[in-house]
Amino acid sequence: MFSALIYSFLFLSAHVFSIHAQEFFQEQLTLRPHRDGTVLGHFAFTTLLKSATPREPETIRIEDTSQHYTLFPLALGQVLREYAITELHLSLNAGKWSYDRWGYPEEDGVGTGAELWAWMAEGPGASVDERWRGLRSNLAGLFCASLGSMDEQRTTSPSLTFLPEGDLPGPSTPYQLRHGTLPSENVCTENLTPFLKLLPCKSLSGIASLLNPHRLFDADWHGMGIHVRYVENAGVEVRLTFQGVFDPVRYSTDGKRDWSLHSIFDRTIQKTCPVARHSKIRLISTTDAVDVSPAPNTFNAAFSVYDVNTVSKPLDISMQWSNESHFEYPLSLDSPPPTHISVRRTLKGTEQSRGQLAIVIENHQDKQIKASYLETMPWLLQFHLNSIQVKWNSAPRDDLMSIVSYIPPVPHSRPTLLQSVLTLPPNGTMDLTIDVTKPFLRYTEHPPDAQRGWDLPPAVFRPLIIANDSNLRRLPRIYTPILLVDLATPDFSMPYNVIIMSCTLIALIFGSVFNLLTRKFVLTKIPNEPPQ
Amino acid sequence: MDFHYTFSALVAARALLAFAPLPDALKYSQQLSSPLTSYARLKEGVYLFSHGIDPYSGGLFRHSPLLLSAFTTLLPLKDPISKLLWTACDAAAAWSLVKIWRLRQRVGKSSRDGLIAALYLLNPYLFLPSLALSTSSLENTALLVAVAFACERRSSASILLLAILTHLSFSSIIYILPIFLLLTSSPVSNLASPRPFALDFKGLRKAVLPLVGEYFAYTTVLTAASTLVCGGSRAWVEKTWGSFFLLPDLTPNPGLWWYFFTEMFDHFRPFFLMVFSLHLLIYVLPITIKFQHDLLYATFLMAGVSATFKPYPTLSDPGLFLSLWSLFPETYSYLRHPIVTALIHLHGSLLLPLFNHLWLATGTGNANFFYASTLVFGIANGAGLIDAIWAGLATAIPVKDGDWDVGQE
Amino acid sequence: MPPRIVEIIRGMRGGGDRNVARLRRKRAITHLCWKSWPILSLTLLVTGYAWMLTIPSTLHGQKTYIDENALQPSQVTTYWGWTDVHRTDGYLDALEALRDRNASGNEYANYISTEFRKLGVPAATQNYQILTSSEPLNGTNAFAILSAPRASGAEAMIVSASRISMDGHLNLRGISTVLSLAAFLKGYSLWAKDLIFIVSDGYLDGMQAWLTAYHGLSQSNIISEPLTLSSGSIWTALNIDYPGHSFSHLGIFFEGLNGRLPNQDLLNSFQKISLYTGGVPVTVYDHYERGEFPDRDLADIPWWVPHAAMNIEAVKEYVYRAKNIMRHVGYQARGRASGVHGLMHQFRIDAFTMFAIPSAGPHGFHALGRVLESTLRTTNNLLERLHASFFFYLLVGTTTFMKIGSYLPAPVLVSTAMLFSGLGEWARARWAEEPVGPDEKEREPGLGTQWVQRKRPVLPAILFVIGTHLNGVLLFCLIASPWASRNKIFTYPFLVAQAFLFPLLLSLATTKTSSPSTTAPTYQILKSINLCLASTVISITSVLNFSLAATLAILLGPPLIWSGPGKYRHIKAAGYCVLGLGWLLLLPQEVQKALWNWEVLGVWFAPFVCTVYVPLVVQAAIATVLIH
Repeated sequence: MFSALIYSFLFLSAHVFSIHAQEFFQEQLTLRPHRDGTVLGHFAFTTLLKSATPREPETIRIEDTSQHYTLFPLALGQVLREYAITELHLSLNAGKWSYDRWGYPEEDGVGTGAELWAWMAEGPGASVDERWRGLRSNLAGLFCASLGSMDEQRTTSPSLTFLPEGDLPGPSTPYQLRHGTLPSENVCTENLTPFLKLLPCKSLSGIASLLNPHRLFDADWHGMGIHVRYVENAGVEVRLTFQGVFDPVRYSTDGKRDWSLHSIFDRTIQKTCPVARHSKIRLISTTDAVDVSPAPNTFNAAFSVYDVNTVSKPLDISMQWSNESHFEYPLSLDSPPPTHISVRRTLKGTEQSRGQLAIVIENHQDKQIKASYLETMPWLLQFHLNSIQVKWNSAPRDDLMSIVSYIPPVPHSRPTLLQSVLTLPPNGTMDLTIDVTKPFLRYTEHPPDAQRGWDLPPAVFRPLIIANDSNLRRLPRIYTPILLVDLATPDFSMPYNVIIMSCTLIALIFGSVFNLLTRKFVLTKIPNEPPQ
Repeated sequence: MDFHYTFSALVAARALLAFAPLPDALKYSQQLSSPLTSYARLKEGVYLFSHGIDPYSGGLFRHSPLLLSAFTTLLPLKDPISKLLWTACDAAAAWSLVKIWRLRQRVGKSSRDGLIAALYLLNPYLFLPSLALSTSSLENTALLVAVAFACERRSSASILLLAILTHLSFSSIIYILPIFLLLTSSPVSNLASPRPFALDFKGLRKAVLPLVGEYFAYTTVLTAASTLVCGGSRAWVEKTWGSFFLLPDLTPNPGLWWYFFTEMFDHFRPFFLMVFSLHLLIYVLPITIKFQHDLLYATFLMAGVSATFKPYPTLSDPGLFLSLWSLFPETYSYLRHPIVTALIHLHGSLLLPLFNHLWLATGTGNANFFYASTLVFGIANGAGLIDAIWAGLATAIPVKDGDWDVGQE
Repeated sequence: MPPRIVEIIRGMRGGGDRNVARLRRKRAITHLCWKSWPILSLTLLVTGYAWMLTIPSTLHGQKTYIDENALQPSQVTTYWGWTDVHRTDGYLDALEALRDRNASGNEYANYISTEFRKLGVPAATQNYQILTSSEPLNGTNAFAILSAPRASGAEAMIVSASRISMDGHLNLRGISTVLSLAAFLKGYSLWAKDLIFIVSDGYLDGMQAWLTAYHGLSQSNIISEPLTLSSGSIWTALNIDYPGHSFSHLGIFFEGLNGRLPNQDLLNSFQKISLYTGGVPVTVYDHYERGEFPDRDLADIPWWVPHAAMNIEAVKEYVYRAKNIMRHVGYQARGRASGVHGLMHQFRIDAFTMFAIPSAGPHGFHALGRVLESTLRTTNNLLERLHASFFFYLLVGTTTFMKIGSYLPAPVLVSTAMLFSGLGEWARARWAEEPVGPDEKEREPGLGTQWVQRKRPVLPAILFVIGTHLNGVLLFCLIASPWASRNKIFTYPFLVAQAFLFPLLLSLATTKTSSPSTTAPTYQILKSINLCLASTVISITSVLNFSLAATLAILLGPPLIWSGPGKYRHIKAAGYCVLGLGWLLLLPQEVQKALWNWEVLGVWFAPFVCTVYVPLVVQAAIATVLIH
């Protein structure tokens, strides 16, 4: 009864405000079964602040206009205004996205750990780097993530790969990109809770009510994202996303891949979120014979759609492969593979002083592909660019790689930025190797678990295929798995001993040298000793 | 056998060695090439430079702009060429060592020439770094040629090479004083008959000041040229010379600095950096004064000092010290503990690569293992230096029979 | 200062000129050392060997313990059950069908990788060929990588089984256990590291091919396909060797190539897990625990031990430990891997082989599965690489081990003794005793002779040393050459001549005589250098590979110390020949094995013997036959 009141109030107020403040909220869940029996669930909650524009950095010093939102997340809005952010993308992922088995994700950013990148307009008010620093620490507080340690040792501006997804207001104003990754960041419930707080209906109703931590964090892969962009003559749009790859076969007792909302999330949709303009569930269709219940509202070859606001509650969509007794894994991966190219990146070599970065790129298309290749490597691994070797089907072809920009690393302060474009001839494999040096750190610079080593950020590829109308079409970014480099460690219990021993040796030599140099030589006659 | 045949045979042998297939263990060994002298880093720097990226904007490349320009323009950094170049440099060094010997003995040629050349060309401490194409071999060459010119009293050539040397490796400034004085005196051995320096202070000033002027002129020119090479940016100063005081790269080496400053507390780092840098200079004046009667010997002792206390030593620094020893046979009978020194050196030079392997490759031993071996090596170098000083001084007091003995009071 | 004290101090100074006193003192000390020198080195030698004898005794050794807290051995409930055992049996049947129609390694690999794929674990095969001086080895590895849910895939652990067991039979049960484990482990989401399952072809060769490919090492004589699946850096590995049809104990084999040992925590936690979770007793190698089969204990005791002593506990314990240590030395001194795990050590992977000792029972797949599951859970707990300085130990019993400090002194003492006698020889070379002339007679009555200093030309001796070592390199090249392996009977005399007689004759020919009163004889200097060199080699090796150092100490100690000319010097020389090159004739198959290990696995034993050990003996021989 009470809750009903609240809801009616919310519903009402939402309508009242949305007339003035022009805020639209819509939510969507995409469910995509994969060949290997897993199911991708992709939640997207989009709030549009109609006809709003990002703050100009000129006005950053003066008092900002007060902000009143009903649906738009206030905490986030304040951060955006405070640091005059035009476009912002934050993703917190756990696990290794397998492109070969799951194809392209619904959201590009699937690199393991935390990734944050923002486009900011340059302005007199405050420097881009100051604002970037502030943004990092604020988001860190907002999402309980250690983004604060994403400092200048991990910040680059790879503008070739991370183009703005929205529009940048003001044709003349110069914009700058800041990008940072934190591969060792672990994503867990303490990140989800603040995420849910930003939703107008929290996880009480609507599609968001499926976000059940116990199941989300048991998925094979999961990640959440916050995407802010400005769309010309639409407004500022905030999109909060959550992706998870769930394995019904693992949950099921009899080894079948049948699934339902309840079996995956251990919840069903009871109520609609009253303030949601649209609330849809898209179910991507598969080739094999399945029976889906309940019947979707609309249906086409690609997918079938449920309108949560209209269908009967409680809603529990389920998919059954009724004709298979238990799931049999495909013996070979899909042919053609689900992605245009597939990439493997490994760190070869066994020494702790040097190694070799080896990258294998396969082009599955029967036409030539260009792909941008980006490394944002902390100074913990230093490239020897002169040792780059490019092989195509194990024949040397150095012409296939062209380096667009390279910023060498500076120990203790700046990471490497390597942006290059690879040309991949049809159907073949490229082997790319770079020799690397592993630096030696001061004993204070090592983390507490020094012997584990350091997580290195993923490399990012972006295939650009020549579409038939002969202009480049950008495909989703492809992230490689992260690497672990183990740097040689000193003995952490030794400082005093080392200081003592080294100084003793030096003092010894110094002392005897000056002893010899200063004391007078004498020649002495020694009468024969008495015979013993 | 005629010296020329011996010498060319030795050089040929070295060339053969240089072109023999080189195991990675040597190519990347941290004993043979330090971050300041490593061939791989030099190649990287040249690559970046020729691709329009300032190599000094990163932390990897710390070689002098002179080498950078030389290897981008005159000599392409291809393996066969570099191998020939390094071998040639060693040959030149050995040749000038023989020359120094002859000038010291005031003889046209002697039976010992071949031995001296062999002791330089076949000294493992010297030819292994040169096989690994570490630029420390070039520095050694520069020094020896400079000294040879100094012994010939060809001041300009000597000073130019000295300027180049100090430009390549800043810690070589400790050679300046003895070599300047050597230019004003003679290389002939006076260890047996020590006497005060020939010139009085006024005369000394008159003799040395122009040399100093010349030296600074050359240095200024070189510095200007380097800045020009780097397109006017002064970043190279901090990256090359600066690394001798600031020790930015803590890659292990046989010296005493790296682990000390790996383990150093951050707030004491500047202080101890200052102490270590000054400590290197402390020896210059006393040794030069004490051995003012034989400045070649003082130069030799300087080599010992730099081998022991240099910030980024490689095996070629102690190697130079040991090979220079072949110039002073008159001191051998006065050495107190040659075999002990030799044994510690043997232990040290075997332990260094093995413990480095234990630490960095198999991972069974930790950093302390390698640190211990560097300490042993330090002791070996120190013992050598001390014994050299003792023998150099004791030569003045020959002991005939068993009833007499030399002591200090 | 009161005068008495001054008096006392002066008395201590030993009055007169201070310098005289000091120099006197110095001479006195040297004299003392000089006198006590031979006794000192002899004492050291004896102590060293005595220490070696005490190593197996109960004087040393302490109970094993877990150092790394993260491991938490046998703290988890295991879920491996009879359904899994049933599945394993299924795989076993299929594999036995393959065996019965003696299928090729390729067929095995294809079957295994297909089974992995059926489980939904990405799998692949790798063909390889290894060229040796004898015949090339071909084979196919099968491997699968199960990427852990929510894990970054930056770390991994290996579960492996080679197709051929270490006792020569097929390791079918090991393979089926690996397959079944893959199916079982995929059902859990608690893995923090990727799991790599490898079924390597052959015994050692397959794994070597796989590992080199995985770590991007280019070994010139291995031609192998690149791996089509990749994962992160590998920390730990378990190798399963299960040749029999059921087993009574699990034996741990842990020696790696070139004497590298795995971190002891791994072995200790496995021992605990196996005992408490699986209920399977663990033994070192396949040696049964003492007291389990008393009759076998007695059988181990050599016949010459008096019956009275046989039943003393200490004696039995000594024999048991000695057995383990000898086995260990046998592997480590020759740098040989005691199992497939040994190849992983060179890549900083801590690994060991669990060998299911064949017997009539009582254990089978059920126990093994649970042990493996629990062990994997333990290694899965690791947050860091195993790093506590737990790599130098001597495992004398299942739960008893010796720290480095308790066994290292033995070879080091011997090497010090050699060093001392070397230095003594050097000092002795300085002095010559010669009769004093008649005119001095009056001055010093009673003294018929006097000591004179003489020159010590080191150059010829050093040239001999360098020459012999270079000759050793030549010797190794000859032995390793296919020509030698083809016609042995003809080569061996030639090799002996090349390695031994030739340097001897050359040295005899080149050394020219000189008056012993003015210059020291070459043999003396050569001997001192030889001793110092040998002692250096031993003391340095002792840190890297204790067993090798101990063996060298035993073989080289007395022979090198007592080298030098004497009455029977030719017989002595013959003895050196046997000591240095006897292995050529006595252990031909050992030579073949050592060479194979060098070619395929890069074990340093063969080159070490040829370029270090033999030359040292040859130098001693030269020092013996030289007269001047």
